[in-house]
Amino acid sequence: MKKVKWFFNIEKEEQWLNEQLQKGFHCTGVSGFGIYTFDKTEKQYVMRLDYQDNLPKDKLQEYKGIYEDFGWNYVKGSWLSGIRYWQKEEGIQNEIFSDRESKGKYYKRLMGYSFWMGMLCFALSYMVYKDLSGFYHDGLWNMEGALFWYALLFETPFVLVKLSPVMLAILFASSFYSGYRNYSVLAEK
Amino acid sequence: MKHKLLPLSETMHYILLALREPFHGYAVMQEIEEMSNGSVILAAGTLYGAIENLNKHGWIEVVGNSGRRKVYKITAEGSTVLKLEQQRLLHILSLYEGSE
Repeated sequence: MKKVKWFFNIEKEEQWLNEQLQKGFHCTGVSGFGIYTFDKTEKQYVMRLDYQDNLPKDKLQEYKGIYEDFGWNYVKGSWLSGIRYWQKEEGIQNEIFSDRESKGKYYKRLMGYSFWMGMLCFALSYMVYKDLSGFYHDGLWNMEGALFWYALLFETPFVLVKLSPVMLAILFASSFYSGYRNYSVLAEK
Repeated sequence: MKHKLLPLSETMHYILLALREPFHGYAVMQEIEEMSNGSVILAAGTLYGAIENLNKHGWIEVVGNSGRRKVYKITAEGSTVLKLEQQRLLHILSLYEGSE
């Protein structure tokens, strides 16, 4: 079974994945475009998401090795982001972090990721919008009647594409804020 | 200023104590579970991060391989840290006794 869903918040993604597992599935694949593959299972699984960006080969091997020794299986992650998907059968220890220090560092890694992705989108927005004339579609506003509506429908997708960098920048900013909030809640507990 | 890992967290403290003997990652967790009478059970991500961090600061080092697993052991610098922590904790314990 395949499901398509897009997330900009890693905690919501983890929560959604575990809801699917609760329904008697286990996850067999995650692709970069929000396609999740599940299979039916009799067993109860749990998933945990970690964030580790481009680890060198020997570190990645050690990272995976330790998780696998603890019974976690690596579900192939997307190539672009550093989100690591871990899945195991439910047991006594279902968490990947057992102290506040390491959980806090995880939130910091997430904030770093959202920050740089947000900056990238922001820079992209600047490049797209510095020449504002492209936005006005002068010819469109001089049209009348049905022709105007057809033209409007035709132009809308282009405007949306032009707006996408700034929308992405906003989504990454919100995910940065959610990381920050989680981090400060953890520090106050 | 004090080193950023000092005073040692419970996790770091137990890992340094366990690595007075050479162990690979998962064995460190098992050893700590036994040492703490089952009260400290490290999770995978916490153990991985702590080992990376201690290795980076030169308090533990890789001393060999057991299959694909790296085997770690405390360094001389790490042992010095433990000595200092022991003195600090002994002093605190002496304060407990003085108040009774």
